[in-house]
Amino acid sequence: MAAAGQFMFVRRLGPAARLIIWIVLGLACVVLDTRYHALEGLRSGLSVLLQPVRETTRAPGEVASELGGFFTRHRTLQKERDALLAEQRRLRAALDTAADVARENVELRAMLQLDGLPGQKAVAASLLYQGHDWFAQRITLDRGARAGLREGLPVVDGAGLVGQVMRVYPGTSEVMLVSNSEQLTPVYVERTGQRGLAAGSGQGRMELRYMPTHTDVRPGDRLLTSGIDRIYPSGIPVARVLRVTRPQAGPYLRIECAPLAGIDRARSVLVMTSVTGDDAR
Amino acid sequence: MSTNERNPVGVGRIAGSLTLAVLLEQMSWSGWALALRPDFVLVALLFWALYQPLRVGFGVAFALGLIADFQDGVAFGQYATAYVIGVYLVQFLRLRLLQFDPLRQAAQVFPILLAVQVVVLLVGWLSINPPGGLEILLVVPSSVALWFLVAGFLRLWHGKSLRDTA
Repeated sequence: MAAAGQFMFVRRLGPAARLIIWIVLGLACVVLDTRYHALEGLRSGLSVLLQPVRETTRAPGEVASELGGFFTRHRTLQKERDALLAEQRRLRAALDTAADVARENVELRAMLQLDGLPGQKAVAASLLYQGHDWFAQRITLDRGARAGLREGLPVVDGAGLVGQVMRVYPGTSEVMLVSNSEQLTPVYVERTGQRGLAAGSGQGRMELRYMPTHTDVRPGDRLLTSGIDRIYPSGIPVARVLRVTRPQAGPYLRIECAPLAGIDRARSVLVMTSVTGDDAR
Repeated sequence: MSTNERNPVGVGRIAGSLTLAVLLEQMSWSGWALALRPDFVLVALLFWALYQPLRVGFGVAFALGLIADFQDGVAFGQYATAYVIGVYLVQFLRLRLLQFDPLRQAAQVFPILLAVQVVVLLVGWLSINPPGGLEILLVVPSSVALWFLVAGFLRLWHGKSLRDTA
């Protein structure tokens, strides 16, 4: 029985009706956001609110990794030092040649009256947050518009191209990884110079699309950015070809590649803020 | 109903636990820890939706979902819709869930959590590949009109009037 002061029949919407209202509201949000980009204000508001929180919650992890680094074994350090010394000797030899070539290049460019290569400025940023989502080929960095980042800038790490800055907030920015299926990267095959288009295929992998079946692509080939899109500078390593299969139907090869950059493990990356001078984006 | 509804837990405790869940999710997880990281916010949300249905309902679920959408950088509404559906499922199965011990409760929450993930997937698909145009919805009013014509015609055919007289 209903208690005193209560209606026997509640005069409010039933749960199913309320559910439908909220679902319609949610779908309206999706449409407003994806179609009309009407909710960017809410997004930057949330980013301003949550950035200090993220910075703070990152502290325990950093302390842990500092402690882990402190207790690295002596033997490991020695081995690493030997490897670094060897590499330094090698690099020093290469550096002499490079300096020579650079000097020659400057002279030649002066003769041709071309602009000098714009200095590639880079902003170091570290990973702030990584999504946990069906389509989560995105990461959040701890640098944003205040550090001079803009939408469309390329992001690299020591090994290769990580992705492209997709959204910029005052203090943070979102990067779409090269393995995102919405992300297309113009590349060329290092061995043959054949140009192509690499796209993410999800699960941290990539594929080289629209290569005719007679193309010379072999497993192990490296793909570098071709730079024809004027967004990425040319020559950044992107991926290595894993497998090439010839489908029965369709005129194109199926080429699976693995990104070279540690897109799922890089903690610190570089955002190249000045790419091709004035005409970058 | 149950005693829980008559002795509501303080708002502070609910808000505190939900905030803690959001904070836990803000930490920078990576690798296997990221893959195995439970959805703290969803678990806290469903827990309170089960034990405090008058305090924590669709509105709270939607707001927390928007935060989750922002965090993962996906379209707004993806997690919001999924969380709302999760809360609805808990409310629907509430009396049943309350009868079980924690182990069996967990087993019964499993399909709910799975359903939430599937909704996230479906809405995500919608946001990545949005349908062409809303003209496809025009089939609804035209079908309604057809229904009226057919049903009315059949009634007239059998010698009845279009309106119920009784």
